[in-house]
Amino acid sequence: MKRGHFERTIGLVLAVATVVSVALLAIGAAGMAASSIGPLDRPFPQFDVARLPADVAGLRLAGLLWLGLLAVILTPSLRVVASLVGFAMSGERRMAGVALVVLAVICLSAAVGAGG
Amino acid sequence: MAELLLLIGGGAAGVFGALLGLGGGLLIVPLLTLGFGLQLREAVGASLVCVIVTSSAAASVYLQRDQANLRLGMTLEMFTALAALAGGLVAFLLPEKLLALMFAALLLYVAATMARGRAVETGAYVGTATPGAGSAAPGAAPGEPTSADPSDGEGLAAALSGPGYRVHSMGRGIAGSLLAGLVSALFGVGGGIVKVPIMNLVMGVPLRVATATSNLMIGVTASAGALVYLFRGGIDPYVAAPTAVGVFIGASLAARLAHRVNLGFLRLLFGATLVFTALEMALQGMP
Repeated sequence: MKRGHFERTIGLVLAVATVVSVALLAIGAAGMAASSIGPLDRPFPQFDVARLPADVAGLRLAGLLWLGLLAVILTPSLRVVASLVGFAMSGERRMAGVALVVLAVICLSAAVGAGG
Repeated sequence: MAELLLLIGGGAAGVFGALLGLGGGLLIVPLLTLGFGLQLREAVGASLVCVIVTSSAAASVYLQRDQANLRLGMTLEMFTALAALAGGLVAFLLPEKLLALMFAALLLYVAATMARGRAVETGAYVGTATPGAGSAAPGAAPGEPTSADPSDGEGLAAALSGPGYRVHSMGRGIAGSLLAGLVSALFGVGGGIVKVPIMNLVMGVPLRVATATSNLMIGVTASAGALVYLFRGGIDPYVAAPTAVGVFIGASLAARLAHRVNLGFLRLLFGATLVFTALEMALQGMP
């Protein structure tokens, strides 16, 4: 894939992912308003990966909020994955390796965060 | 009511940040700590989410306009992300008061940089830092990088170059990236204030490309830091969600406002806000 076209494709992927993730966040924020929950209410729900699918399926507020936040946080990773695929397909092995390292660091962050 | 205020505050940070080419973190953290009484670490966690939103939105535009150097950005991201991981861990070890004092120092540094670096920030095309490196290689097609000079000993840097400029000084670029990642995760900011000058003045990347590439890198960097905060209970979803939505709306509005706003006045106002906020944060950090 020619340079320029490749970047524009990645940009499009990023744009769509950003809009989708912010829309999810907005749904969560609207849910807060509908449930009369204020930003300063305590305690706030803690992030729990194991509970997330059930909370989302049950349309619980905590699930919706965490889904939106997770989508936002992982949006840049999606851009890296898309880049990895593009670099691999176009035979840019060095850049594909770079993308893999970036993804590995992001995974390491999650692992270290969860481990502590 | 507080939710609406957060939405508006986030929106204002988004407008300011987008118009001045900064992440909104410099305003969001003080807004949440001084305005809403949040702990600094919670404010930083929410701010990192907001920074990812602004970075993703801006980077998608820059990539589609072919302004960002994706290869250079991803190469430096390896180091910003690694440092952000370390910064996220360090942030949970440092006392809040010390973090507040350090944040105040960062604000003053940014205010001083804005006051004296006007030419650098607003220049249309700075070119390269090395003589003769600013022109495209003969025969280089638009969209293709300047050809690598095998004798320069910086094969990787040459491969990361773009049309009309050649990247150099990768070592110092990597060092700057490590610092930017650390700053990002410690204070919930994008780190562009470190990356843009390094890329532009040290690595020979034109300002416009450096700004776009920095925006691209901020997302992954903040993401690495945010994941540490997320799993350690440092992100309050009740605060982060409405603030991030506000930031997104504000940043989107800024694109429409850009040509109607007096950027000189805005810069002055922003600088004064930073100094005032720095003093407030410093007071909070006093024993």
